[in-house]
Amino acid sequence: MSSSLAPVLETRDLGFSYAPGRFAIRHLTFDLRPGEILGLLGRNGAGKTTTVRILTTLLPPTEGTAVVLGQDVRTGGRALRARLGVVLQSESLDFVTVERNLTLYGFLWGVPREVAKSRAEEMIELFELEQARKRKPWALSGGERRRFQVARELMHDMEILFLDEPTVGLDAIARRRILRYLRQRAQRGLSIVFTTHILHEADMLCDRIAILHLGRLLALDTADALKQRYGGARQISVELTTPLLPELRAELVRDLAGQRAAVVSPAEAASPASSVVLRAERAEELLPWLSRWIHGHALEFDRMSVEEATLEGAFLGMIGDDASEATDGGSADAGRPAGELVRRAGGGLT
Amino acid sequence: MRLPPVLRLVVRNFTSNLDPLTILIRFGQPVITIVVLGTMFSSIISSNVTGGSYTAFLVPGMVAFQMITGGVISGNLFWLDRRWAMTEQIFSGPFLRSEYLGGLVLTTLLFSLVGVGVMMLVGLPFIGIASLSPLGVGAVLLTVALGSIFFAGLLIALGTRLRSANAYFSIQSFLQLFVIFLSTVYYPITSRTPRILAATFYGNPLTYAANTIRDAFNGTLGRADLVALGILAVLAFVAFVSAVAAFRKLDLGPIQ
Repeated sequence: MSSSLAPVLETRDLGFSYAPGRFAIRHLTFDLRPGEILGLLGRNGAGKTTTVRILTTLLPPTEGTAVVLGQDVRTGGRALRARLGVVLQSESLDFVTVERNLTLYGFLWGVPREVAKSRAEEMIELFELEQARKRKPWALSGGERRRFQVARELMHDMEILFLDEPTVGLDAIARRRILRYLRQRAQRGLSIVFTTHILHEADMLCDRIAILHLGRLLALDTADALKQRYGGARQISVELTTPLLPELRAELVRDLAGQRAAVVSPAEAASPASSVVLRAERAEELLPWLSRWIHGHALEFDRMSVEEATLEGAFLGMIGDDASEATDGGSADAGRPAGELVRRAGGGLT
Repeated sequence: MRLPPVLRLVVRNFTSNLDPLTILIRFGQPVITIVVLGTMFSSIISSNVTGGSYTAFLVPGMVAFQMITGGVISGNLFWLDRRWAMTEQIFSGPFLRSEYLGGLVLTTLLFSLVGVGVMMLVGLPFIGIASLSPLGVGAVLLTVALGSIFFAGLLIALGTRLRSANAYFSIQSFLQLFVIFLSTVYYPITSRTPRILAATFYGNPLTYAANTIRDAFNGTLGRADLVALGILAVLAFVAFVSAVAAFRKLDLGPIQ
């Protein structure tokens, strides 16, 4: 991915409303760079599919602008779509065998017959569809159908590939294989927009992640930056060389309160313990303070470790695990000022 | 060589949705009607009523019937594409709505005209071609083409409105039955036809098509056929425009 090159996709205040005051998405501003994999992450109804449909010209935006490969999505039409690849969320199939489906799709896109044939073979092997080659769509398993759909889209050349939840229903191995292939394609210059519910795969695959909630963009950054910024409270484990006495524990609890941290274990104040577990909002920043506190109380430690930040933690920190589900018909929340939603971000101590 | 988008869509329509069994049934049914119904009824229906053998009367009717076959094929293709999200998938590619519709209409026309050829081949031993002039052949093809566009437009417009497969296929079957039996495909309008039925027959485009094709076969094309073609052309235009209008507003998302 090259961050110095001009973006291949740019949106500014992009919005779509199904009805007056009912926004599916609103004020989305982001970009996609050449060879970049951008993840769109969010709950059901967050606006991921609507965004993809707008960016692929299937749905005209009602607000803002979206420029894809230098063309406005409102006017780009066929010329723009000819440069895109789209794997939609809904299952779409023709009633011929998998093999014929692939070559037929290549034909539809104007891929020369010989190229389509060899590409179909490549896709059948890559997406493990050998057993399904002569089967018709209704005879495929859910996972096979999804693999087939991704394979089919890769039959033609494109500059940006949009994948709307392409790994739903896939087993871990198939998922890993597809993600690895997408990564290789991105390294060869293909830009990818990838929507998913699966936080782990977004973490693994995406160069940057946009978190959508109720139609609004809550954050856009690398996975690591999101984890650091929104990861919320994490655990710190400390192994002391000598047990922590109850009176020192009580003092630690008091001192930690000023550091936005708390003692998780030992839970009881009565018994001494060598293992201490804390929970802190800014775990990395707390470590030097904790080290000084331990030494300042004539104690030593063998080991001090911080639980790894996860994207899930960041995601939940941002949207809250009790966030209300947006409805399919769009959300009035999408019309609220961004600050109101963003204020929910950042998990507190639990 | 890269074919134009419309032709690529036509090839795709034939390849993906028209399996040999469907084609066999679609063409086989009227062929069986000509052979079996024609033979059996010829012996019991007076030639005074039909102006010749019943089979000779029936063949032009079955030729006219091809416009329904073609229209139904097109309506079903569209419905299945919608149901299986292929409309959305196709429109995410380098195709326009007009090209997709054009592809459907062209598929309809090809299917209908092939059907006309099959029916004429089957019917020739029964009717001969002595009276069929080049003008008559042109009138037959034009009639079927206009009728096909009419039925295709009607069913596509219907397909854009309905979200239930049961509703679509039930209405489509009922419409076929209604249109075929309330027309002059199987029987002529005579002085003994009840007035209300005769009036209904004349409200049915298939009647005009069957009559015109029958006149073309008999070499008796006249002013009435010209009017019939004009009516068919207007109906085809209205149905097609309705389909285009419905299609423009169509949410491309799949039917769940």
